[in-house]
Amino acid sequence: MLGIVLGRLGHMFFVMLGISIIVFLIFFATPGSDPAARIAGRNASPETLIAVRTSFGLDKPLPVQYAILMKKLFVTRDLTSFVNRGQEVIPEVLQAAPVTLSLVTGAAVIWMVLGVGIGLLSAATRGSVLDRVLMALGLIGISMPVYWVGEILNLLSQSRLHDTVLFSWVPALGYHSFASNPLTWFQGLVIPWVTLAVMYIGLYGRVLRANLIEAMQEDYIRTARAKGLSETRILLHHALRTSLITLVTLFGLDFGALVGGAAVLTEVVFGLPGIGKLTYDALQNLDLPVIMATVIYGSFFVVMANAAVDLLYVVLDPRVRRDD
Amino acid sequence: MRNIIKLNKRFMTALVRGSAITLLFVSSVTHASEFWTPALMEKHKGGTLQLVARSAAGTIDPQINYTSEFWQIYQFVYDGLVAFKKGPGNAGSELVPDLAVALPMAKSSGKTYVFKLRKGIKFSNGQPVTVSDVVASFQRIFKVSSPTSGTFYNNIVGADKCLKTPATCTLAGGVVADATAGTITFHLTQPDSEFFDKLALPHAAILPASTPDKDAGTTPIPGTGPYMIANYNPNTEMKIVRNPYFKQWSVDAQPIGYVDAMVYHFGLTDEAEVTEVENGQADWMFDQPPTDRLGEIGTRYAKQVHVSPLEAIWYAPMNTRLAPFNNVKARQALSYAINRKAVVNLFGGPRLGEPSCQILPPGFPGYEPYCPYTKNPGATWSAPNMAKAKQLVQESGTAGEKVTLIVEDTAVSRAIGTYLQSVLNELGYQASVKAISPNIEFTYIQNTKNKVQISLTQWYQDYPAASDFLNVLFSCDAFHPGSDSSVNISGFCDPKIDVQMQHAMKVAITDLATANKLWAKIDKQVTEQAPAAILFNPKHIDFVSSRVGNYMYSSQRHWVMSQAWVK
Repeated sequence: MLGIVLGRLGHMFFVMLGISIIVFLIFFATPGSDPAARIAGRNASPETLIAVRTSFGLDKPLPVQYAILMKKLFVTRDLTSFVNRGQEVIPEVLQAAPVTLSLVTGAAVIWMVLGVGIGLLSAATRGSVLDRVLMALGLIGISMPVYWVGEILNLLSQSRLHDTVLFSWVPALGYHSFASNPLTWFQGLVIPWVTLAVMYIGLYGRVLRANLIEAMQEDYIRTARAKGLSETRILLHHALRTSLITLVTLFGLDFGALVGGAAVLTEVVFGLPGIGKLTYDALQNLDLPVIMATVIYGSFFVVMANAAVDLLYVVLDPRVRRDD
Repeated sequence: MRNIIKLNKRFMTALVRGSAITLLFVSSVTHASEFWTPALMEKHKGGTLQLVARSAAGTIDPQINYTSEFWQIYQFVYDGLVAFKKGPGNAGSELVPDLAVALPMAKSSGKTYVFKLRKGIKFSNGQPVTVSDVVASFQRIFKVSSPTSGTFYNNIVGADKCLKTPATCTLAGGVVADATAGTITFHLTQPDSEFFDKLALPHAAILPASTPDKDAGTTPIPGTGPYMIANYNPNTEMKIVRNPYFKQWSVDAQPIGYVDAMVYHFGLTDEAEVTEVENGQADWMFDQPPTDRLGEIGTRYAKQVHVSPLEAIWYAPMNTRLAPFNNVKARQALSYAINRKAVVNLFGGPRLGEPSCQILPPGFPGYEPYCPYTKNPGATWSAPNMAKAKQLVQESGTAGEKVTLIVEDTAVSRAIGTYLQSVLNELGYQASVKAISPNIEFTYIQNTKNKVQISLTQWYQDYPAASDFLNVLFSCDAFHPGSDSSVNISGFCDPKIDVQMQHAMKVAITDLATANKLWAKIDKQVTEQAPAAILFNPKHIDFVSSRVGNYMYSSQRHWVMSQAWVK
């Protein structure tokens, strides 16, 4: 077990190192990205430009700059943004993380509950009208781009139908912190949650249905049937358990990526200052320190989520345990 | 100054907008005193203004930040010795004494100024403002490498040393305080007609002497205005509250504000900003409304829209050091060929922009209407002259050359870029357009290493003086090869015109009227050399909520929020 954990940590370290080097090099290879002039400000004299270049260490060779950046990020933890000068990057990421976690966790609950529900219902009523309708709805959900769904919901809830009974409860866009008012926090997040979940509900529902149908052909199901168990029990206790493995794999990857910043479009559309929005803004402004911090944070979550998935396999599928 | 308003607006045909928009112009009231009286104060005091912007504008250090977004806030948070009057329209360009008792007369032929500091003014932390705070503030401009330290404040005695070694800056002999007399004396290396203008900019704000000599970043520095920044997070919001130590000393320089607080939210899209103002969730949006929402806000919310002239140009600088634009005829040809009406329509229609082909914007000091690049050359632009343009290209012998145009990757810039590409092609060039991120385009096109032949960009005034356009953008001194900060993008350098610019700046010290006549001449000469194709003068839109009253627009810092009320 220790070996697995150490292996995972080593893996994570190399992924993060690789990503950080690539991001760093791409930044400096981009024409016009030299931050000195932008930091110094418009119409800066050559002397001012030199002073800024020196004070930000931008006159040093690239490997040295990379090392300084990493040291400031991990050792002294006082890395500051190039754009919002004076703003420390790590607190910035730490402030953005709860917003993203609120968004992604809420959406995950919705998509897991509804996705599993739809998958089960479809599999149980395979071939029926209900099955077809559910699968068609799932496909529609997958096909609708998240930013489009978000903008349409915004249009309805914030603009066209804002003053009607239907949406008068929706607060202004942006994040309302849980600490200041849990109710507004919830109200402000309902629509973003639904928006983010729509695609995954369809995806998970369809995947689970296919897996369940496949599992129902397996030998152990036949054995269960032979034992005289009810169809519902077989579906819920035997088929669902092994079919969930694919779902857990998907969930791990999706959840990790979303917490790592992949919920960017939802965050931008709803003005939620989360990790995705932070990364988006940093990319728009070519703010290297923030880009570095967010991609490293993101890769950390992706690797962590993968590790968690591997461990869950062991819990879910007895066969994996036997292989060990 | 380059405005940070990013105009990534969606393109819509001008005809539709032209008929749909019934935008109002700012009121014609001309006196600051009509906006602020004790009776009005009594009646409308209180409430909170909710402001929104797509993004924050970086550090809140007034001596470093160089964006119109935060300069608009600084106008009621910080004071200099001198200020632009808090007055409507062009009254907002008048200089008035602020922390100084009066505007001093120049001594020693414009090289010495003695300011007397007002007594009894306190910073928002309760400390009194003293002459040593003034000296320390000017030293700090250099210690923190303020963007304009080398361009605006470099003629204070001792500034050269400060620019070389900022950490040990003293400005000895340049800024001298006399604590008993309560005076501060400035000694300049040469007379500067724009010295007061520069003192009125936020970079010359008077801050407590104890302010650390580094960028304050997100930590507010105490100021002297009626409001102070309570806290700031660039990702979420800025809170602005009343300065408990503020007492009004001059209605013109710094009137008390009506609202008790302001909250500036960051991070919404332009579309969401418009919706929030419509819903009354926000009282004002910083960004210009997207063009596809103009019809709706112009018809349904016309009373909440204020359109005001901007002292700014949209222009296409041409590199006078690279083919084909190293040939003056090629540059003039393009200027003749551009249909400025079409460009204005791409920007948002005739209500939002005025065609122009000269460098100084209308109403600016030294402005005399002049347009040689039109069908019937005269005061204003009327129509393109394609025949003349084609003839000039023939004469220049540059036809067939490849031209790459660099634009910002925003809807409006791309649309104008595509139009300019078609014009260049029609003139016989092989033109292509390259759109790059709005955040790096301006530094990219300034650097000679990138060999940019032609680009599209904007320039907004810092202060009302002709040199802020002509000298800053087209003087030999403003060209720095290989630097990302070479604001003379066309690399234009005509020694004869340069001499005239120096002369005009000298004359301005004693005789502004004559100087402005000289600038008018210089404007014509530079325009004739066509280092840039001037396209149009944009207008500014403020969209406010229905509860905002007493809207005042100043030509300098746009909407004066401290003079608005919500009750």
